[in-house]
Amino acid sequence: MPRIVRKADVVWEGSIARGEGRLHAVSSGAFTLPYTNASRIADPGGKTSPEELLAAAHAGCFAMSLGSELARAGTPPELIEVRCTITMDEVEGRGHQIVHSEIEAGGRVPDCDDAAFAQAVEAADAGCPVSALIRASATVTITLAH
Amino acid sequence: MATDRTVSATWNGSLLEGSGTIHSVGSGAFGPLPVSWASRAEEPNGKTSPEELIAAAHAACYSMALSNGLAKAGTPPEQLDTSATVTFQPGEGIVRIALAVRGVVPGLDAAGFAEQAEAAKIGCPVSKALAGVPQITLDAALA
Repeated sequence: MPRIVRKADVVWEGSIARGEGRLHAVSSGAFTLPYTNASRIADPGGKTSPEELLAAAHAGCFAMSLGSELARAGTPPELIEVRCTITMDEVEGRGHQIVHSEIEAGGRVPDCDDAAFAQAVEAADAGCPVSALIRASATVTITLAH
Repeated sequence: MATDRTVSATWNGSLLEGSGTIHSVGSGAFGPLPVSWASRAEEPNGKTSPEELIAAAHAACYSMALSNGLAKAGTPPEQLDTSATVTFQPGEGIVRIALAVRGVVPGLDAAGFAEQAEAAKIGCPVSKALAGVPQITLDAALA
């Protein structure tokens, strides 16, 4: 399969404390979003942050991967719900780091029991490229909400 | 202090024929954004994808790290224009991220900017989280 390329850009004006960035999804045009240091480390105030976008990437990738595994097992889902929470923390001597990604996965899947769902979730995690990337430097935990 | 950000995604149906949405439940800043396999692997047709969201996360984080580094060095930027391009190879994963930045930084020469730009590439939290990507490149210059 050919390579897939996706691009986003940012214009940042001013200092970290008082400046603001404007983020644009160049490939799709799907979003243009403001963000600030305050929206990143304090109250979001309706603005996004790098960690929220990473959570979006992980949740989106995991949901697709789970849909694929359930269909492969002969039980295509009616609905999958995945929630991802990314935690950034200050690590002694290493500054701010993304330390954890928590995935909660559930759904409505006809003819799929809890054990089969759990198996599909495990396979989805193994096949999700974003899970693999985050695991290289942080922990990933998965909770079933099925 | 730890910071949490939560996003939810839904998916209906199989990978090839199904579709989903991504919603920022934490901030409410975006969504629901539609996603599909076709828009991820072929033409976007106005829909985002996990790879585009990673590009967005990386460009956003990198810009802040560079702005912070420049300010600490006594030469705060007037403006930084950053892009991140993520290359995904199905079956392999994300194989490359290309960062490009152009800066308007009063009082700083090209060498000084290159040094700060490289430090931000290594130090930004999203770079560290994506350290498993085989190739992360940087093209940095003053505007």
